Amino acid sequence: MTCPPDPGRRAFLSAIPVLTAGIAAPARAADTRSPHWGMLVDTRRCIACQACTMACAMENATPEGAFRTVVATYAVTTAKGATGLSVVPRLCNHCEKPPCVEVCPVGATFKREDGAVLVDGDRCVGCAYCVQACPYDARFVNHETGKADKCTFCSHRVEAGLLPACVETCVGGARIFGDLHNPESEISKRLKEAGNAVSVLKPEANTRPNVFYIGLDAALAGRVDGVSAADMMWRPDHQGG
Amino acid sequence: MTTTVEVLGFARGPDWLPWAVQYFFLIGVSCAAFFLSLPGLVWRLPSWRTLSRLALLAALISGLTAPVALMADLHQPGRFINFYLHPNFGSWMAWGSFFIPLYVGSLLLYAWLCLRPTLLRLAQRGGRLAVVYQRVSYGGHDNRQAIGLAALAASLGAMLLLLYTGMETMVVSARVLWNSPLVPLLFLSTACVGGLGMTLLIAALAGRRDIAPALNRGLALALAATFILLAAWFASALSGQASAAAEALTALARSRVWATTGLWFLGTAAFTLWLAVRSPQSLWSTALLALHGAWLLRWIVFIGGQSIPRMGSTWFDYSLGIGPDGLLGIAGSLGLALFLYVVLTGLIPWDERAEA
Repeated sequence: MTCPPDPGRRAFLSAIPVLTAGIAAPARAADTRSPHWGMLVDTRRCIACQACTMACAMENATPEGAFRTVVATYAVTTAKGATGLSVVPRLCNHCEKPPCVEVCPVGATFKREDGAVLVDGDRCVGCAYCVQACPYDARFVNHETGKADKCTFCSHRVEAGLLPACVETCVGGARIFGDLHNPESEISKRLKEAGNAVSVLKPEANTRPNVFYIGLDAALAGRVDGVSAADMMWRPDHQGG
Repeated sequence: MTTTVEVLGFARGPDWLPWAVQYFFLIGVSCAAFFLSLPGLVWRLPSWRTLSRLALLAALISGLTAPVALMADLHQPGRFINFYLHPNFGSWMAWGSFFIPLYVGSLLLYAWLCLRPTLLRLAQRGGRLAVVYQRVSYGGHDNRQAIGLAALAASLGAMLLLLYTGMETMVVSARVLWNSPLVPLLFLSTACVGGLGMTLLIAALAGRRDIAPALNRGLALALAATFILLAAWFASALSGQASAAAEALTALARSRVWATTGLWFLGTAAFTLWLAVRSPQSLWSTALLALHGAWLLRWIVFIGGQSIPRMGSTWFDYSLGIGPDGLLGIAGSLGLALFLYVVLTGLIPWDERAEA
């Protein structure tokens, strides 16, 4: 004669799937929660070596003379006569309200759920309207592809679990990339610590950038009222040579 | 006082090339010339008959050339179909891609309807092309109702084109020279200058000095409107009412090239106005000066506007190359306009004296 199953044991066995599902559910929710990528640039750590500029150009094979990220460098002389070096590393701001997306006539430029503003190369007609609309001069028409080109936050690397090339290569650790949705991410912690010291480029443009700065000179956050050394120097394309 | 020298700056060249200047110039000229064709061809005012026929020729030449220049400015011209497959109606440019065929299509229909009696008369004269004229005239009826409907569609298209070209430029807040509500109005007034200039040029080529006074009167009015709008722009910039205009004026004033170009535009436009008022019989001089003014304003707005740095201090020193993206592009589109003039005047007599 076989004994009937112990109700206690039966209850335990039938509860196992519920228990495992309960354990798995939060983990699965955490996995599927979309990150929101952003970058923090600590200009105090930038030495204007342009390693990021070159790494980006190498990684993304941009045409000669066209850059997705640059480090604009300024010599700022104060009223007291002290001269210092200021830098503004620049890239696409992957704005929350990207003007480039609004103007694109064919919807080739779009904002992905993870915050990256990207270009659908198969749809882009190369009209350059997005280039005109970007307040940050972050876009250009790639004359090798005939399409709009810009920083993608190195999406192909991020999807493979790597950091963007400019972040990876930065010798001073001036660029911090991460998930703005995750309060435990390095970028979120740094932004929280910096508090009011955090700024963005051209805040008046009201585009809500996802690239943040620490130590940014407000006078350099947009069009700079100054002179360009390029206008003062000999240039082979202008003077010959 | 703090001074700043940009030791290492990055200036991007203009991505809207001289082709864009050609497009905005030619489409404005076409729309304005089309409106000049209405009094004589739709409302049948006898005193406008000659002027309106020549204006229709001007509208056709520039209206057929403009879309070619626009296509050439696309870096992926073969993908123009995407404008219709994936339109983003939040963009003025997307709307423009629908307004262009509406205007050009209805302009062609309107021109054909107006020309049907002429084509029939050409067929009746005989000759090698008589059969072609006969077929194209499709009975040669002078259908005023159909002309009126086609003119209505073309008027709608022209107004929408004038609206979108101005708005498309104005909404770009990243370009301080473009971001002014006066820009669409300036495009409109200078489109009238260009349309009158093109009609004057065709009248000059046809030797019709008799219509010069009417055209020069219109030109003087369009130029006066342009000066009023420019005065309003300067006032808004100097008073600080418009920050974008103030920024643009400060930037342009510091650029020797663009300050000189701006002064040249103002000087030549003032001279054109003086000439149109003082010498109403002028044909060639006012024609060429008017076309020059309408084109130069767009050159300053587009090429100058893209040269002003958005970030940093480095200007892009634009120099007009001789290749397809420069002088060859400008010459090419004008060459196409000349070709169309030769073909259209070779096949159809636009001057009633020649038809007689």
